Amino acid sequence: MHIPDGYLSPETCGVFGAVMIPIWTAASKAVKKTLSVRQVPYLAIGAAFSFVIMMFNVPIPGGSTGHAVGGVLVAILLGPWAACIAVTVALVIQALLFGDGGITAIGANCFNMAFVLPFVGYYVYKLISSNSPSGSVRRVIAAGAGAYVGICVAALFAGIEFGFQPLLYHTANGQALYCPYGLNVAVPAMVLGHLMVFGWVEVIVTALVIKYLQKQNSVFFEGGRS
Amino acid sequence: MSSTLHKRRDFIERSILSALAFLKEATLSEEYANRKGFLQSLDPRFKTISFLAFLVTAVSLKSAALIGTLYGFCLILAFFSNIPIRNFLLRTLLFIPLFSLCIVLPTLFSIVTPGEPVWSFRVLGINGIITRPGMDGAILFVVRIATSVSLVVLLSLTTQHSELLKVLRLFGVPQVFVLTVSMCYRYLYLFATMVENIFTAVKSRVGVVSHQRHGQNVVAWNIANTWNRTTQMSEEIYMAMLSRGYTGEPRLLSKFYAMPKDWIWLLCAVIICAGLFYRGHT
Repeated sequence: MHIPDGYLSPETCGVFGAVMIPIWTAASKAVKKTLSVRQVPYLAIGAAFSFVIMMFNVPIPGGSTGHAVGGVLVAILLGPWAACIAVTVALVIQALLFGDGGITAIGANCFNMAFVLPFVGYYVYKLISSNSPSGSVRRVIAAGAGAYVGICVAALFAGIEFGFQPLLYHTANGQALYCPYGLNVAVPAMVLGHLMVFGWVEVIVTALVIKYLQKQNSVFFEGGRS
Repeated sequence: MSSTLHKRRDFIERSILSALAFLKEATLSEEYANRKGFLQSLDPRFKTISFLAFLVTAVSLKSAALIGTLYGFCLILAFFSNIPIRNFLLRTLLFIPLFSLCIVLPTLFSIVTPGEPVWSFRVLGINGIITRPGMDGAILFVVRIATSVSLVVLLSLTTQHSELLKVLRLFGVPQVFVLTVSMCYRYLYLFATMVENIFTAVKSRVGVVSHQRHGQNVVAWNIANTWNRTTQMSEEIYMAMLSRGYTGEPRLLSKFYAMPKDWIWLLCAVIICAGLFYRGHT
């Protein structure tokens, strides 16, 4: 889901960069309120954790592997605003130092993976888990459902961003200047891939990790340390 | 056959340890950044601004030839910065541009991109017609992506990572955020080592993890264990920061000194970008 440089037009990148600025500001304020002065090491380690999650390849049917984004897992553990910052930091490091995900597309990548994914997933998790006991199976199911819905909605947004490119940016003879596939191709390609494969990787990772954490220490999945 | 299958299914060896080894190698080996070369001699601030300007130019231009010129310039810079060109090409072309080429292949054909036919062929009773707009669009797409990736990788290879992260301050990024990014980067290596040790321990006890379900459990347990250790670690790090005089207001040390050479380089970069934009619009 990491969008590289060149897939989106500079205008699209600019719009998403502008959209993310108030979100990052709100996230900083929200985190400052809940995490006080301890926020820096806690956030830095949360960001490193979210980076490391993206490196775990999970075996999937057919002998292949896929990696999870872990945005919903981090949101359940740290809270959605802290997850927004942690995933943003991970994405910035990936783009700047490892060339994974574009620098110009950092706004769009953060919108999909640091905003849509953790927030949608977290609130689906909250909705399903409701007031169930912290060690209940319902929370494991809620975490899996949140992860699945979160990543699929994020993929839908990525598909829409790709799909608008040939509609908005093309030459006089119709030649696409950026991502060449319209909404009719880009949206199903992104969404189906996540509905069928990557969504399940996210479910497996998120649900199993929550299950293990329940066994070890249930205090960590109360939506951060607030 | 069975050993091949065995090897293929050993996902720990194949995907996790290799990914972690790459991370460790990337975070530790600032070998190229420490070499003597043209880009290494520039102030990181000026270098980052100039590369961002190149990147925006590459993303904005609508001519594959002009973007290709920028790509050629990027290779020249790599050469004068003591970066082995073969390694550089392998690193920049093998992943994202190759993947993008695969994505864009269907757009070559008339069924996706109608237009003036350039070449037609018949395979398994199916007629394939490659069109001019399809070919031009695909070349533009792949050249742009190859150039963008090359620019970012060249910047990353020739700049010490800690300095590159400090440069974020230039763009008005709050100090707390920059400190978070820098600390996160430092702990990546520690986490990578931690995870690698756990997987090596698992492997030494159970051998090859070939069953899919077992593999999933190993990964999930490892992530959960990493989380537990990270939360413990955050408390210890906070106490260590307090003991060193951290008062809640981060202070970053940065010793950037601009030389006349850096200003000349920036001027050259602006002229190159302006020239390419001008050519692109005429």
